[in-house]
Amino acid sequence: MTAALLGFAVIFALALLRIPLAFAMGGVGIVGMALTRGWDPALASTAQVVYETGFAYTLSVIPLFILMGNFVARAGLAQELFQAAYAFVGHKRGGLAHATVVACAGFGAICGSSIATAATMGKVAYPSMKELGYSDSLSMGVIAAGGTLGIMIPPSTIMVIYGIITETNIGKLFAAGVIPGLLSAVLMMGGIVLITARDPAHAPAGRHSSWTERWQALRGIWGVLLLVVVVLGGIYGGIFTATEGAGFGAAGAFLFALARRRLTWAILFEVLVESARTTAMLFTLLIAATLFANFVNFTSMPNDLKDLITHSGLSPVMIIVAMMLVYVVLGTVMEELTMVLLTIPLFFPIVTALGFDPVWFGVLIVMVVQIGLISPPVGMNMFVLNALLPGVGLGAIYRGCWPFVLVLVVMLGLLIAFPQLSLWLPGLMK
Amino acid sequence: MPDGKYSPLKKMLVIACSLLSGGALFAIMALTFLDVAGRKLLDNSIPGSLELTELLMVIVIFAALPLVSMRGEHVLFDSFDNAITPRLLALQKALIHLLIAAALLALGWLMWQTGSQFVETGETTAQLKLPKAPFIYGMAVLCAISGLVHLYLMVRPPAELAEGEGAAL
Repeated sequence: MTAALLGFAVIFALALLRIPLAFAMGGVGIVGMALTRGWDPALASTAQVVYETGFAYTLSVIPLFILMGNFVARAGLAQELFQAAYAFVGHKRGGLAHATVVACAGFGAICGSSIATAATMGKVAYPSMKELGYSDSLSMGVIAAGGTLGIMIPPSTIMVIYGIITETNIGKLFAAGVIPGLLSAVLMMGGIVLITARDPAHAPAGRHSSWTERWQALRGIWGVLLLVVVVLGGIYGGIFTATEGAGFGAAGAFLFALARRRLTWAILFEVLVESARTTAMLFTLLIAATLFANFVNFTSMPNDLKDLITHSGLSPVMIIVAMMLVYVVLGTVMEELTMVLLTIPLFFPIVTALGFDPVWFGVLIVMVVQIGLISPPVGMNMFVLNALLPGVGLGAIYRGCWPFVLVLVVMLGLLIAFPQLSLWLPGLMK
Repeated sequence: MPDGKYSPLKKMLVIACSLLSGGALFAIMALTFLDVAGRKLLDNSIPGSLELTELLMVIVIFAALPLVSMRGEHVLFDSFDNAITPRLLALQKALIHLLIAAALLALGWLMWQTGSQFVETGETTAQLKLPKAPFIYGMAVLCAISGLVHLYLMVRPPAELAEGEGAAL
């Protein structure tokens, strides 16, 4: 137990010293293993982990889903999605804000990244909102929060990573995210209703669209809707494995971008290399997390923790609530991927020992990441908007995000109180 | 950073790594698509497509590694950067590059040893009988090159780094 705790402490210290997390975790994993078992076994197992993570067919799901999202982002689809959403909800007060959330949810169904969703929608939605006199804080809050739907609504990079580290079925995780993702979008729209009721001047209603216009707006996006239905439907229906679905989706998105004449050789090359870089970065982390987990699993910690928890007399749900509190607080100051990779080896054995469903816990993890991404002061969704729109200060972004942090915390509460929200849909799968 | 600032060697490395990793990723996409389409529609899959994907994954990951290092895209905790003086920060960054370089060079050495073991056993993939050793040597070389990139960054820190961890979350 002491050895593992010391390992965690050293990683935290190294991370605070600005050492990239992958090298901190991997280094501690290898050295920890060497000190407890000797250098020869430590080096042999390191080589094996690197080799096995590299040569892994199922892990090709990661670059393929990333590629699919990047292709669709470049296909110029965001504008059409936004217009279609606007045609349906634009006439309400705060119509552009509602349309942004709906378009983010739609974009999230193809893109597994919260940051990419926020960045893409930011470019499209912000100018329209600015033009109609929306306050910067409201527009920023809506875009940053809407962007987080990208990781709850499948596909989702963080779900894939969680699934790989904890050996949880990725298809089931994806299914589990659908209802929480849609419900989050509804709650966000509820939040917009409350905000705009207090300050109607900053969120004027738009024009009412006729049904003809609405159908026309939908025509621009039917291709991608079809792709989503085929890929996700195929995975849920058991026709595809997650990996096959990802390959099919990436190729479909490629053909889609090609058909829309959005791909030059230069853009194709850029999309491929960008996706490969993100993949390499994630695999470095995966290898490091595996090395560290191997060390932790060799110590007595997993068993000690289970004993501690089972004899503590705390109710299982209270333990989950306590974990989530830790995450929400950590999420305000920590980079979220770091937070998840560092804590999963510690928390996951406890969660399974308490008899909770790993799929449900995975959804909770995604939700705390969503919260962390928009809770000031440190959150990537806020930073990416700040970099994208230099005219808007970080202060306005912070002010705009707080109400949506509250919305998502309410959502987290609902997910804890009603596990069926997450587990009903995956329960229907074979 | 505009292309003009790249030294010829650096430019060559970027182009080679980009072509390798990007090309391999495109190949995985095409292979998976054709394999799945062939299996579901024509009842005819591509022989050895799983193995080919595995070999190509190695290329995607390890050929992109020097690029990740060059652009400073490894996830790190930099919230305290404004808390210390710029000179101290520069020193800290240089030391960390040295540390990472050592780690990656050591990993390169370890994977080279592993590659040699594969040569001795002559291990191949199950279906297509492709030798695995060259790919392990490739991992080793690319890890080492990434290490050298960090040594380069230690001596010549870039003025401004790229956007961070990309679109991982």
